[in-house]
Amino acid sequence: MRYLLLALSFASLAPAQEPKKVPPLEEAKAIVVPFELLSSGHFVVKVKLNGEGPFRMVFDTGAPLTLIDTKTAKAAGLTKKGGGGNGGLLGMFTGGLNQVEVPKLQVGDALAEKTPAVVMDHPTVKAISDAYEEESGPINGIVGFPFFARFATTIDYQKKQMTFKPNGYKPGDYLQDMMNSMMRAEERNKPRIVSPGTVWGFTVEKESKDEATGIDVKQVFEDSPAAKAGLKLGDRILTIDGRWTDTLADTIIAVSRAKPGQTVPVTLKRDGKEVKIKITPQAGY
Amino acid sequence: MKILVAAFAIALAAPVAQAAEPAAVEVPYRLTDTKHVLVRVKLNGQGPFNFILDTGAPAVFIPKKIAKKIGLELDDKGWGHFDSFELEGGLKVLKASTRVADLFQLEGMNGMGLAGVELHGVIGYNMLARFRITYDFTQDKLGWVPLKFEPPAIQSVGKGGEGQGSLDMMGNIAKMLAGFMGIKPNFEIYSAGFLGVEFEEKKSGLFLAAVFKDSPADKAGFKVGDQLENFRNSSIDDMGDFRRAITKTRPGDEVKAVLRRGDETKTVSFTLGKGL
Repeated sequence: MRYLLLALSFASLAPAQEPKKVPPLEEAKAIVVPFELLSSGHFVVKVKLNGEGPFRMVFDTGAPLTLIDTKTAKAAGLTKKGGGGNGGLLGMFTGGLNQVEVPKLQVGDALAEKTPAVVMDHPTVKAISDAYEEESGPINGIVGFPFFARFATTIDYQKKQMTFKPNGYKPGDYLQDMMNSMMRAEERNKPRIVSPGTVWGFTVEKESKDEATGIDVKQVFEDSPAAKAGLKLGDRILTIDGRWTDTLADTIIAVSRAKPGQTVPVTLKRDGKEVKIKITPQAGY
Repeated sequence: MKILVAAFAIALAAPVAQAAEPAAVEVPYRLTDTKHVLVRVKLNGQGPFNFILDTGAPAVFIPKKIAKKIGLELDDKGWGHFDSFELEGGLKVLKASTRVADLFQLEGMNGMGLAGVELHGVIGYNMLARFRITYDFTQDKLGWVPLKFEPPAIQSVGKGGEGQGSLDMMGNIAKMLAGFMGIKPNFEIYSAGFLGVEFEEKKSGLFLAAVFKDSPADKAGFKVGDQLENFRNSSIDDMGDFRRAITKTRPGDEVKAVLRRGDETKTVSFTLGKGL
């Protein structure tokens, strides 16, 4: 149980991966793209690669890579970058995946330039393609994270459409990131120390045998942000900014996500009742 | 006629645009090292468990050991129906159902700690289609708007039945790596040492804006208005310097700090506390 609860994201904690600040893009227009829902539950979008196509590809939020089948890659004139492919150690780790850079990948009117993709005849893609080829044509690949991460992406199965708003997010190079992540393997097994950069002014404790939701407040410092917000000794914190606080580790994580001066909703159990307060942590430690 | 048409169009458009729509529930998520969107879920009140959002999966999937743990039984069509399915952020999904299978892709990633956390299950089409979900990785929450929509039932494709499209890809990579690594999927989290102060960053350095009564800093003699010049033998010019220095500490560590008050400097030694 303890391990489950400590399953906290390494990704969200590493300072290098803090959400990148981007200028507001309110003026960016939402691009609406229809999709075709297959009876398998997958959905398919029309994709242009380098202006060629449209090709039909499965859109997949669970795909860390964009995949293009060999024939389609050839038709769109996509070749390996640098010619040498993923040689050396990276190649060894990734099984020699054939990664290319797609100069222009368009899903409807949503355009991503210089986005990575892997050229591969994937058995699952082929199985889906074979099943639907007669009915609606072949399926040529999968659109994944490197594309949709560049947008605020909304999926509406009822209207069978997606909307994309460019958000300035830079997805990076998946294979390289994966490689770096593996290189940090040693570091990973060490405990991680988190310093939020905000001070709230309370302490919490949880006994190991206490498996109920929430965590008990053991001390509230006078005149601290927590005291000003009315947090009291004996309160049981259930959520901080919507995040569960069932363990000390969870509480540390929830607290670490707030920025100094940001007003954060906190749900408590006090005298058997649920109470909502708002705490504004300050820059401090 | 033209006018009628126009009037009709407006009448139609206005209420549709304004139609009372349930507000989006903000669901906290994490992006794993493997670029999967991970949310936390309590199943039948137990957990939380870590799930990947995967439009390439036809349904919700949980492994056998979790089905057993939460006492889930399957109906004659192989579906399990949760008594409760609650996403972090407070979204309770009614009538949630799942397949039960040990996906080798998740096992592969867990075996090597590839995602940086232990992955327990997948949320696929049969649940995702009931919401309009916005993914924006510049924000720290996803938006889930419930739809009044019953998604069409799925049909399996090919011999394999419920192929895990995108996760297969990870399976391939994971297989290549098997044996190379022995990484735990999880690791422990601690907070850094606690002082009980608020800082103000000025051009001339880092100053104390508040010192909480009875906090470790208060007991050590820190006063509002003092400048913190040095902490654990690192000179401090701004919050960044201090963050780097404090991140190396744990509650209970003995530390030394140099404070400037007017023309005087004062060196203090004290024990860091536990607190947030």
